[in-house]
Amino acid sequence: MNSYPRVLGLLFLAVMGSFFADICVGPVTLQWANIWAAMVDNKASLDALILFEIRLPRAFLAMLVGATLGISGAALQGLLRNPLAESGVIGVSNCAALGAVLVFYFGMTQWSWFVLPLAGLVGALVSVVMIFLLAGRSGSTVTLILAGIAINTLAGALMAMALNFAPNPYAMQEIVFWLLGSVANRSMNEVLITVPFITVGWVLILSCGRFLNALTLGEETTKSLGFNVRHLRWRLVIGVVACVGAAVSVSGNIGFIGLVIPHLLRPWVRHDPQRLLAVSALGGAVLLLLSDVAVQLLSSGGELKLGVITSLVGGPFFLYLILKNRNVWS
Amino acid sequence: MYLIDFILNGVVRRAIYGAIVLVRTGLGVWFKCLLVLVLGVSSCLAQESVPKNIVSLSLCTDQLLLMLVPRQHIASVTRGAIDPHLSYMAAAADGLVLNSGGIEEVLPLKPDLIVGSAFASRDAVRFLRHLGYPVKLIGLPQSIAEIREMVLNFGAWVGYHSGAKQMVKKMDEQLAHLDKQHQGIKKTALIYSPNGYTMGSGTLENTMLKVAGFDNLAIEMGVVGFEQITLERLVAAQPDFLFIEKHVDNPNSLASHYVSHPVLNKMPLTQALEFIPSRLRACAGPMVVEAIESLVGKRNE
Repeated sequence: MNSYPRVLGLLFLAVMGSFFADICVGPVTLQWANIWAAMVDNKASLDALILFEIRLPRAFLAMLVGATLGISGAALQGLLRNPLAESGVIGVSNCAALGAVLVFYFGMTQWSWFVLPLAGLVGALVSVVMIFLLAGRSGSTVTLILAGIAINTLAGALMAMALNFAPNPYAMQEIVFWLLGSVANRSMNEVLITVPFITVGWVLILSCGRFLNALTLGEETTKSLGFNVRHLRWRLVIGVVACVGAAVSVSGNIGFIGLVIPHLLRPWVRHDPQRLLAVSALGGAVLLLLSDVAVQLLSSGGELKLGVITSLVGGPFFLYLILKNRNVWS
Repeated sequence: MYLIDFILNGVVRRAIYGAIVLVRTGLGVWFKCLLVLVLGVSSCLAQESVPKNIVSLSLCTDQLLLMLVPRQHIASVTRGAIDPHLSYMAAAADGLVLNSGGIEEVLPLKPDLIVGSAFASRDAVRFLRHLGYPVKLIGLPQSIAEIREMVLNFGAWVGYHSGAKQMVKKMDEQLAHLDKQHQGIKKTALIYSPNGYTMGSGTLENTMLKVAGFDNLAIEMGVVGFEQITLERLVAAQPDFLFIEKHVDNPNSLASHYVSHPVLNKMPLTQALEFIPSRLRACAGPMVVEAIESLVGKRNE
């Protein structure tokens, strides 16, 4: 019933709709006529200024980060052949945040534009390597979750310590941002520094689609089908850490999107891991854009962090997954 | 008994020792006259019972102490007093014993007066009072009249009332002079600080803006005290002047991303300027006048 192009088209429309919703909500009611006049006659307009300098960067960032978290969740679940693999759950996001915190608060971001996303990437890479060492390819859910808890705790503690020692009076209160995430008050600069890393990450992940399909048959079969498993696994890992690292380095750790979205959308693509990648990207973008709309409707000052909303959705969903699969896993 | 003890231990004893040294080196008659004078003055002071070992527990009392009281009577000031970003009197505080408001740091100094702010080191203050130490606390003055009153009270506590009176007089003269400079059309202004905060009614910053001839738009927005405002509301308010408080010593925080957002410099009708330095407004005192002077200067540019 749900053909793949139709699902993609539907989700694409949903992204457009939620993107538009995100740029429409805000403390100031925009006069679209003024913006149109400003664009046509090149006149200075406050509405245009608010739209282009404040709302568009925010919505772009929500879209990019949401898509990244969605696609990386689908990729990690396929790679580890584990339904609970997600960058937030297994500690990748927190490690990326730790990397970003280290370079950000100690002044290294002034060296060059790519230092911040690169640090996020390195942090994420460290955690993926640790996950492989701890949980391996066994596919055991319990081991994976325990390794994730350990890495998350460690990264969180190191982050708090780094912020404590940072030469800045605001550093410690900003731990909330890094642990819960937000796209508020960002400018186009943040969008631009992440775009190269995120694009490379997406391309690498999407190029591994057939490999993920083959992996469902087991590693040995994949090898016998002619895939270079070692090479492709690294390609996928680099793809995930590039986009997640860059996204987290400007938005903090926004949880559960990578867990919820692939699960919700898997039936739509008949459990095809390759097709799941693109639809999860679109679905993640929709969920994060709508979460950002909710954040702005619930608190005009922007005090509420995005991760609060996504966790409110994702936490119960996580519990539901555990209850549903309890018999399978034990 | 106390008085005699005081005279013997205090200025007089020092003066007598000095006199003996000087008489021996042969400054004879002239010095005898000076000796009489010194004795006279110091006995006057002794009657007022000037505290001679004062500990300050807050940045604001640190600065008032350093302005009014001779250095040798200051037993300790807080660590903030030597920070040139925060303290107007940083240079004068250099070399004094520093404290961070802890009881254990204060007790060994055997203070005969402890001064502090009603909003800092509350636990230490409660305990020190319990132990019987005299503790005097200043409030948070928000208007020029309140600053005047605070300076005079403080002067009385530390035994330099006349110095305080002079300070207030000088402030009033400078303010009267400023009043003449900014008559004309009212300009609107908004303050924007790290983390997106602005200052509304009941803040010292609001008073400064008002006295310098600005309409603080935060008041129209209903901001009371320090409140976060969204970037959008700030842009929509269109102030003539946007005073941006930058965090000088370290720009690496998300808090300072708020004040470095590119939109702040693109507002068509708004002049975005750096706000007056923290050392002029961290505390209420005579330095507030200098802050207002600086604001008037920015307005007339």
